[in-house]
Amino acid sequence: MEVLLPLLAAVLVATGVFLVLTRAMIRLIIGLSLIAYGANLSILLAGGAALRTPPLLNLDGPYVDPLPQALILTAIVIGFGTTSLLLVLAVRAFGATGTDHVQELLEKPDPVLRQRIYADPERPSVSPETQDAPRAQGPL
Amino acid sequence: MPRDRCEEAVNVLTLPVLLPLFGGTLLLLIKRPQGRAGVGTAAALLTLLASCWIAVRSFSGTVLVTQLGGWPAPYGITLVADGLTGVMLLLSGVTGLMTVIYAASSLQHAPRRGGTPVLSRARERLGTPALLQFLLMGVNMSFLTGDLFNLFVSFEVMLVASYGLLLIGGELPQLREGFKYVVVNLVASAIFVAAAGLAYGLFGTLNMADIAARLQDVSGDPRVTLIVLLLALVFATKAAVFPFGFWLPYSYPVVPGAVGAFFGAVLTKVGVYALLRLFTLLTPGETALKNGLLILATLTILIGALGAVSQRRWRHLLAFANVASVGYLVLGLSSGALAPTLYYLIHSVLVIFTLFSLAGLAELVAGGRFGDGHSEGHLGAYPLLGAVYFVSALALAGLPPTSGFIGKFALVQVLLGSGGLLRVFASVVAVASGLLLLYAAMGIWRGFFWGADDAVHRPPLPKGMLRVTGAAGGLLVMLAIASGPVYALAERVAVQLERPADYISHVVPEGDAP
Repeated sequence: MEVLLPLLAAVLVATGVFLVLTRAMIRLIIGLSLIAYGANLSILLAGGAALRTPPLLNLDGPYVDPLPQALILTAIVIGFGTTSLLLVLAVRAFGATGTDHVQELLEKPDPVLRQRIYADPERPSVSPETQDAPRAQGPL
Repeated sequence: MPRDRCEEAVNVLTLPVLLPLFGGTLLLLIKRPQGRAGVGTAAALLTLLASCWIAVRSFSGTVLVTQLGGWPAPYGITLVADGLTGVMLLLSGVTGLMTVIYAASSLQHAPRRGGTPVLSRARERLGTPALLQFLLMGVNMSFLTGDLFNLFVSFEVMLVASYGLLLIGGELPQLREGFKYVVVNLVASAIFVAAAGLAYGLFGTLNMADIAARLQDVSGDPRVTLIVLLLALVFATKAAVFPFGFWLPYSYPVVPGAVGAFFGAVLTKVGVYALLRLFTLLTPGETALKNGLLILATLTILIGALGAVSQRRWRHLLAFANVASVGYLVLGLSSGALAPTLYYLIHSVLVIFTLFSLAGLAELVAGGRFGDGHSEGHLGAYPLLGAVYFVSALALAGLPPTSGFIGKFALVQVLLGSGGLLRVFASVVAVASGLLLLYAAMGIWRGFFWGADDAVHRPPLPKGMLRVTGAAGGLLVMLAIASGPVYALAERVAVQLERPADYISHVVPEGDAP
């Protein structure tokens, strides 16, 4: 156990880093989850991974330390929320650009959303990003 | 041990966290925008009052402590307020209130259709005011908490709210920068969790004061350095120190202008606060790490100043200027100049807030760009804005008689006084970057305020936004005028920070420790 778990944590983090360094958004998100699992596992190890009895008073000690598990639970809940947010973000970005590739997302000038949101002819767009486009209407 | 003083310090410490939480929750239930504006302002005002109470009490030298749920120190979560917490709470309270008013008033002239960069009604309806309160809650909790894991949780509360504020609207620039922002912060959070776990494994506690008390037991252990390195990495990423700060300069400009000022002024400073805590409380030693951070801080200043010169858009320029100001702060704390750092911190929050508020107004007038020859000469129409800009630009560059000069002068004095080639080089960069920032700020002056008045259409500017901007500028001037007392206060807080024994003995009384 004591040897196997650190090894597992290392493999999880290594795989996660590899996936984060790839350019597909979904792989990146899965990689982030793997890194978080590795971090959680290291908390479990920090509390001592020896096989002990659960911390209940009607059982005989030595008890396992419950705090790392509480910490991991907190970290998992937070990680769940942020990962789902990131997934929604990835879906929206895919809908806007039609690509799952991070580099293309960063470089793509967007034709779709700007027309939908800034289609008001009375008021030319003043968004900082859209200012990059040549100004057809002139100053405000 | 003044135990009774600790008991008396009571639960006021929870108010800067609870009030925004209640306010934010209430805001989600209110249907009318006017009602939301009122409740939001009330919540922010009450938070500011509670923060003021805590700050005044903590400035007298006491350390206020609340053990949540009555659990004694190393077992439960502790809220602690010393002088540094007081300063930070005061800053976040003042800027929080001003941001709430600014955001509410920016709606007055928002068109029903089409997006303004300031704040559209649709975005307001989707929950911007509530998210702002939750952001305030996370920020205040990070300043108050005395527990390493709780610090992680507060960071997450703050970050989740900031993700929401950054992404509401869902335009492509937001998606693009938001993706970067979320990914960077998720990686940093994973490292933070791992570091907290390692700290628990090594020290057997997560209470920061308790960890500090147990440092002697493990002195010389290389694992301590590893944990400190991981924590410093996380906090440096939040504070946008070079080379971990590449996410900042392009992500802050996509935040709606109404709340962008709070992001620029306070959010990055949370990272600086955490670094200050780390290097004063948890690791008084670690000189090699501090020297490394000093080099990084010097580079951060340089990158920020050069980046600011290269920008032709208000908020992009200010985001780079913000990076530079973080560089000055980290330079100060890594070279041990705590009092100048604290003074510069107050100055930097106010000056960045003022400039970002001006940027929001400027975007209403002429869009986010300046100096492209399309819209200039606004000084005649908005002379007061010009005056506020003039003062804050001088303060940003650090020219006398502004507060920026006093902060930078004190910082460079300490750096040169302690000697060493590295520090001399750092002070040369600090001074030269001030000139670069001045040059960058002059770009806005020439491209926006100066020049022939050729604009055909000037939109009326919301009064609330103007007042907030004026008030922020006024505070900046006040800081320069009252720099004597403020600097004395910074020195008192710095002395308190340099003697962590006081902090430790208030949180974990002697003999109580297991």
